[in-house]
Amino acid sequence: MIEIKNLSVQFKNISFNYQDKVFHKNGITFITGRNGTGKTTLLKALSRLIPFSGEIKVDGLITYNAQEPILFNKTVFENIVYPLRIRKLNISEYEEKILEYARLLDLEHLLNESSLKLSSGEKMKVSIIRSIIFHPDVVLLDEPTTHLDLESIQELTSLLKILKHDMTFIIVSHNQTFMNELQSDVYSLGGSNVYREIN
Amino acid sequence: MILESIYKAFELLFSLEQEIYSIIFLSLFISLLATFTAAFIGTFLGILISISDFKCKKFTKKIIFTFMGIPPVVLGLIVLLILTGPFDQFNLLFTKTAMYIAQTLLVIPIITGNIIISSEKTQKKVLETATTLGANKKDKLILLLTETQPFIIMSIILGFSRAISEVGAVMLVGGNIRGDTRVMTTFIALNNSMGAYSMSIAMGIILLLIAFLLHTILARFRGDFYD
Repeated sequence: MIEIKNLSVQFKNISFNYQDKVFHKNGITFITGRNGTGKTTLLKALSRLIPFSGEIKVDGLITYNAQEPILFNKTVFENIVYPLRIRKLNISEYEEKILEYARLLDLEHLLNESSLKLSSGEKMKVSIIRSIIFHPDVVLLDEPTTHLDLESIQELTSLLKILKHDMTFIIVSHNQTFMNELQSDVYSLGGSNVYREIN
Repeated sequence: MILESIYKAFELLFSLEQEIYSIIFLSLFISLLATFTAAFIGTFLGILISISDFKCKKFTKKIIFTFMGIPPVVLGLIVLLILTGPFDQFNLLFTKTAMYIAQTLLVIPIITGNIIISSEKTQKKVLETATTLGANKKDKLILLLTETQPFIIMSIILGFSRAISEVGAVMLVGGNIRGDTRVMTTFIALNNSMGAYSMSIAMGIILLLIAFLLHTILARFRGDFYD
């Protein structure tokens, strides 16, 4: 479960004040709203990448997958196992899982390729597998369908349908079809939660 | 004149003259040693500064960036004053050690500064990603070192180029003593002042050939380096 109370993020001349909200465990919540309403800021605050005031309660491990995924200068496989390596987990125990996810997202043939050679969509899919492979409790996905083609969106939808029973997903998205397919809770931002200071 | 110099350069290289070889060897030895020392210190400092938040960070970076462009002769003067002042008892002036110290101090800011620039600009998101995947400080440091490896190699190449090509500092603290502290650049400067231009150009060509060869070897470590 994730709970936010009196959450506020302040930048130079803009502040985002979020309504109190409880994100329920093992499910998907979509965050929607127009550009500049603080969707990415909310995800970054939840993963404690930026300073905030107020309260954020998170049960368990949380991870954030950026809109423009950053892959390390390694092979696809090495990128995926990075969170396992830093936790000193036995990689061989996860190989089957990696293959299953890679197959689902049509990445199996790319596992030994350098991550530098991938397209933006492939990078996104690799980064999503990397975010879930260590089984965090909460996964924050920032516009995961941006670079994906229709087939890839369908593959991602299938994967999320399987995983949503075990993990909590909070996803920023503008893709209505994607949202409808997953039939999830929606947290809409906009209007009074954004305050711009005019200097 | 140029053709004559090229001919002279090869004549010098194959002259089997002990003095010429010892000048080339000393230049390479001191520059490489200074570059490796500076690479070790500069990489550590560069990574540390880029991932740490501390008071006066901006000021520290400004100082490093200023020293990246310090004229070698000014740095040589500073080293000369230090060696003849607080460290006078060690009798280091006009020795190879003094030349090594000057070149190391010249190269450290170049490597540190370049690593700071590349780390901060390109690696901020890498560190952010590593943080969200659960990496601790040590993991992030290792990741940053591997991710900035091409920039580290590039910085070392730049540092070496600066070390082997500079003349002001080694001239001031080394003294250009024949058979002892004379290196390629001071040899060129001396011959130039005596009007032996073809000799200067010949040694200049050898210097360029050596730099080209070393760059080629270093670039092989990263095949995609100059792509």
